[in-house]
Amino acid sequence: MNVRSANTAGHLVAKALRGSWRFSTTSPLTPADFEATTPLLYDSGAAGLGWWTIRDTALADTPSGELLHQAFRLLTLQAAIHQTKIEKVFRHLRAAGVEPILIKGWSIARRYPEPGLRPYGDIDLLVRHEDYSNASRVVENAELRDCRVDLHPGIFELVDRPIGDIFARSKLVSDSPGQARVLCDEDHLALLAVHFLKHAGWRPLWLCDIALMLESISDDFDWDVCLGSDKRRVNWVLSVIGLARELLGASINDERVAARATAPEWVSESVLGNWNQPFVDKHEPYNHRAPMRSYLTRPAGVFADLRSRWPNPILATVTVNGTFGKRRRVRYQLRNCLQRARRLVWPIDLAQDPTQ
Amino acid sequence: MKPVRSTKPRARKEGLVVQTLPDETLVYDLDRDLAHCLNQTASLIWNRCDGSSTTRQIARAVSDDLNHPVDERFVWIALDQLGRNHLLMDRPPAPISGMNRREVMKALAISAVAVPVVASIVAPTPAQAATGCLGAGAPCSSSSQCCSGVCDGSCIGGGA
Repeated sequence: MNVRSANTAGHLVAKALRGSWRFSTTSPLTPADFEATTPLLYDSGAAGLGWWTIRDTALADTPSGELLHQAFRLLTLQAAIHQTKIEKVFRHLRAAGVEPILIKGWSIARRYPEPGLRPYGDIDLLVRHEDYSNASRVVENAELRDCRVDLHPGIFELVDRPIGDIFARSKLVSDSPGQARVLCDEDHLALLAVHFLKHAGWRPLWLCDIALMLESISDDFDWDVCLGSDKRRVNWVLSVIGLARELLGASINDERVAARATAPEWVSESVLGNWNQPFVDKHEPYNHRAPMRSYLTRPAGVFADLRSRWPNPILATVTVNGTFGKRRRVRYQLRNCLQRARRLVWPIDLAQDPTQ
Repeated sequence: MKPVRSTKPRARKEGLVVQTLPDETLVYDLDRDLAHCLNQTASLIWNRCDGSSTTRQIARAVSDDLNHPVDERFVWIALDQLGRNHLLMDRPPAPISGMNRREVMKALAISAVAVPVVASIVAPTPAQAATGCLGAGAPCSSSSQCCSGVCDGSCIGGGA
């Protein structure tokens, strides 16, 4: 399938978001395409970006344009409220001697031209393993209950690099709420790329994040640090970078990386297929009807649920630590099924599962 | 026409989150969980409500800001809306008392300045969205709107 010629909802979403992270944008959508795309953008968290791309066009004056404009306004206010929460969380943790790194959420949202373009909910914090219990106590504090802090003593997305190195390379953002500490750009891009794959890339906004990062990195960006030394991880990150260029038109400032960054066609197809329905409840694991274990005692509906559990090829590749190549990923999907069947028989602690 | 009563309005500052955009000001009332959008004229008038300026002085100051004469009645119209939306410390007296509607509209029609507007910003109902519920990152006003069942201004969940 030529991914550029088809005209599915997923393609329209890609078209709507092409270049949407840039300050100056225009929309290539026809009014009919815009009408069809608006609900998809809205429900997948890309309403702000949807507004941004059409704000200087006639589409802004349509009912759908007004819907996105209202969303942009609400998200702008929400971003300001979240910033006060981030400041509060950093203040409390530092008072307890914990220095966390803010990952995802605000740390990528801050790079967009306006704060209302990139919504986020949780405050994801990476902490050193030895600080985890102390940090857990702090975030359970009544004063931080409204902050939705998600603590990570380690993170699957960056498991290929020592956490000490990640902390050593991290940086303080001086003009940020509470002088937040964030990942260095190299680790940040790697994290975003693997995170995208870990969720089978179903949310279009995540690829916009990667496209934005690619276009905002500085000249001294160290690609060796970003890609790491694990060959599979290098393949993963380069595949996502290639995808950001192919689907969203992201520019890559390094010729060597640009030459190596390609995504196999089946990856593009899979992502665009997911973007046909970019809603959380349509994707693993949220689309499962019930835990498989429950069917052991009450088997009704097991076959219908099994169908929805056939793994997404991207997800399967990541969970079995495979590589993104030209060949179809059926063997990875089968291995993923076996892995899950084994878990059904010999359950493991989810906390030990690196992809959770 | 009867003279307009003078007052010295004071903008509310506490319990509000304010974001200024190029052509409007967004205000979130943390006490009432309500969001408002002030157009440029309303925003300029609100910013001049310092508790020591009269409506006449505010009109003059906003005229300077906009480089266009602003009728004092504009200030009253803005104060009425700001007061009704709890964005002033005290609700002003009846805003355009002494003026009939025709006079007000006449004043507005010939002005080069936009009529002050304070509009509420509301999240859409799930019926306006693509699915029966809103996904993570979608603006919401109640948890029942979200697929995850958690609304914090925008829906939470799904690894956003």
